[in-house]
Amino acid sequence: MSDAFPTTAPDEAMALALRRIAESEAAGRGSEMAGLGFNQVVVNMGPQHPSTHGVLRLVVTLDGELVRDVIPVIGYLHRGKEKLAEKRTYFQYIPIPDRTEYVAGMNCEWGYVRTVEKLAGIQPTRRSEFIRVVMAELNRIASHQVGVGTFVADLAPLGTALVFYAFRHREKILDLFESASGARMMFNYFRFGGVRYDLPDGWVEQCRELMTQVPAWCDEYESLVNDNAVFLQRCIGKGVMTQEDVGDYAITGPNARASGVAHDLRRTRPYSVYPELDFKVCLGEHGDVYDRYQVRVDEIRESARIVLQCLDMLPSGPVQLGTLRAPYVITPPPGACYTAQENPRGEYGTYIESDGSRYPYRLKYRDPCFVNLQIFPKLLRGNKIADAVAISGSMDLVLGGIDR
Amino acid sequence: MGLSDGFDFKGLADRVQYPNLSQFERPNVVTTTVDFIFSWARSHSVFPFTYGLACCAIEMLSSGFARYDVARYGMEVFRPTPRQCDLMIVAGTVNEKMAPVLKRLHEQMSEPKWVIAMGACATSGGPFYDGYNVVNGVDKIVPVDVYIPGCPPRPEALFQGLLELQKKIQAMRIVPPLPAAAPAVIAGGDQAAAPTDEAAADGSAAAAADKPAAAAADHLEKVEG
Amino acid sequence: MLPAIGSAGLSIDDVAARLGAELGADLTDAHVQEPDTVVAAVERTRLHDVAVRLRALDGLAYESCNFVAAVDHRDHFETVYHLYSFASNTYLELHVEVPRAKPVVDTVSDVWPAADWHEREAWDMMGIRFEGHPDLRRILLSDDWVGHPLRKDYVDSIENHPHV
Repeated sequence: MSDAFPTTAPDEAMALALRRIAESEAAGRGSEMAGLGFNQVVVNMGPQHPSTHGVLRLVVTLDGELVRDVIPVIGYLHRGKEKLAEKRTYFQYIPIPDRTEYVAGMNCEWGYVRTVEKLAGIQPTRRSEFIRVVMAELNRIASHQVGVGTFVADLAPLGTALVFYAFRHREKILDLFESASGARMMFNYFRFGGVRYDLPDGWVEQCRELMTQVPAWCDEYESLVNDNAVFLQRCIGKGVMTQEDVGDYAITGPNARASGVAHDLRRTRPYSVYPELDFKVCLGEHGDVYDRYQVRVDEIRESARIVLQCLDMLPSGPVQLGTLRAPYVITPPPGACYTAQENPRGEYGTYIESDGSRYPYRLKYRDPCFVNLQIFPKLLRGNKIADAVAISGSMDLVLGGIDR
Repeated sequence: MGLSDGFDFKGLADRVQYPNLSQFERPNVVTTTVDFIFSWARSHSVFPFTYGLACCAIEMLSSGFARYDVARYGMEVFRPTPRQCDLMIVAGTVNEKMAPVLKRLHEQMSEPKWVIAMGACATSGGPFYDGYNVVNGVDKIVPVDVYIPGCPPRPEALFQGLLELQKKIQAMRIVPPLPAAAPAVIAGGDQAAAPTDEAAADGSAAAAADKPAAAAADHLEKVEG
Repeated sequence: MLPAIGSAGLSIDDVAARLGAELGADLTDAHVQEPDTVVAAVERTRLHDVAVRLRALDGLAYESCNFVAAVDHRDHFETVYHLYSFASNTYLELHVEVPRAKPVVDTVSDVWPAADWHEREAWDMMGIRFEGHPDLRRILLSDDWVGHPLRKDYVDSIENHPHV
């Protein structure tokens, strides 16, 4: 029996956790549960776990139920996208950023396409700029529905109801995406200088009608959980991110805005037609788990407003430069460039260095979830193990972006 | 003077006659009824394993929720632990770091178990086939029953795969079916050999998941020759 | 408390001028990349010093490190640091040339904690060691991976693929 399933030796992350336990016990700070005689225990959460929302592995050092330390181990979805960029032409690579933050594909594609346009000096058409904003904001709504839905599903008794409603409403948005771009999730819709297809007939009316229902959806989500005692107790005051943390750890997106930092790239570093649109930046106050959830629900409402404005302002005109087939092969001049996008999870940046050939020389993603995950050990230390689920869910991590 | 006087206990074992069970070595009304009940139960109550790795996991989730409802096929009980599951839907890219984990989780599932490779990445590596860290297809690690292409496959495509799997589950038999009757021998010889070999192969493949596979195949050979 | 974004009211040229005045000796080849980035090169040995001074600049402190990228130009490496200042709402991009024969750079994770994992990824992918880093081990690939994939001369070895 013992030989049939041999226990494997601890890998580097576990070994590090065990070393830290040994150090803390040598320093006399073993168990903090005075009088109970606990030892510190290393527990492995993941990489397959229902609540980590992806293949994230957390090596948690527990002292009773108190978390002393957590070491996130990532890389279980590392597909080598940055190396892949060096083997694909700029045009062939367009579908790949979609799969970085797979819940918010439109935003990620836009980030890549914008950087290449800046390098090559291509200016997209005006109609396509509005369509891009509409698609990005619709994808923001869909992404927040997934994020908030799965977060609440792990926490609260009525949360499972919320996730069903959220996904049901999300399907209507995916119907719009499907009729415009042909796909529900991985769109391959953006092109250098515009977008691939124009909006079909009747799309604008359908979208407008859907967006007028969005505030009712948000009211429904809030009515389900905002008064729930269990939800509030698990969320309020947990995982507080101070403004210094936001600066030190370069936290961006709703996570930063929940701490009161008004860092929204659509306002601070505006791009595309965002300067012409009227929307407010949703801020929280305390930076705890509850504020991060509330900021996302508020952002769903704001995105619906943005989409309605864009649909009213949509000009006529071409959606692509040149002939029907946008440039297949472009060779941007040598140089390096970085552009950043306000993704639903934060600042999604692409740094591309070009050497004048058809292939990118170096492509580096600045992924918001990768950066946001660094603060997770600091937030979780000192809390109980059940808060791991609440805090990681509130940070809305997508492993496709963390691992690339 | 009691009943036990004069009763030959020692010869009892020689005199007991066991019922003739050879009729259960071939399909009969009892085995086909048991097959029917087991197939119905197994295929309509599959417990999938939440093994969503990447983007396909979101489509798997969508298929579990209200619009595309996987509960109508009886598969809504997604269990997070492999010990309680029979179906592992590998949804997403498997890379070298994840592969040993996948293997271990597959080994933790108990028989009978099935694996669906959902999506292009799990089938063959997908858009990342030339990545340095990507395993080109999950069938290099675990045996796969159904492949579902797509990037990501729509929930309807996932359902087609699940229905194919249901058909595969319903083909399981506790006793292999009889071989097809040998057709008349026509000049030219090898026509007669092929169908019976095929039928024998089908029979033994269908009963592969059950225990008396070798014994049943042997019995078939004896019936032939 | 972080300063409100853009509270310093400086334009990008003002920022460039101020950086030139205070750190001109160390920031070579400084120029403005529209719309709001100052790009400069820094000598490898001066990096940590410059980082500490940028973090403590009065009224223009660069509080955040957005990312640390490692690039393989075939005869040398380059690390790119992208910094953000809340008060001026501008970015600063520093390029540090690292010799290929001895790819070692000082860490900046003690100045900006956000650089921690980026430096681990640069080690993992490109093989650049960061001196003084608290925990420099592989982050994305398996612990026993051989080689650094993002190098231009990377050749994959069969030891990395037990599952093919």
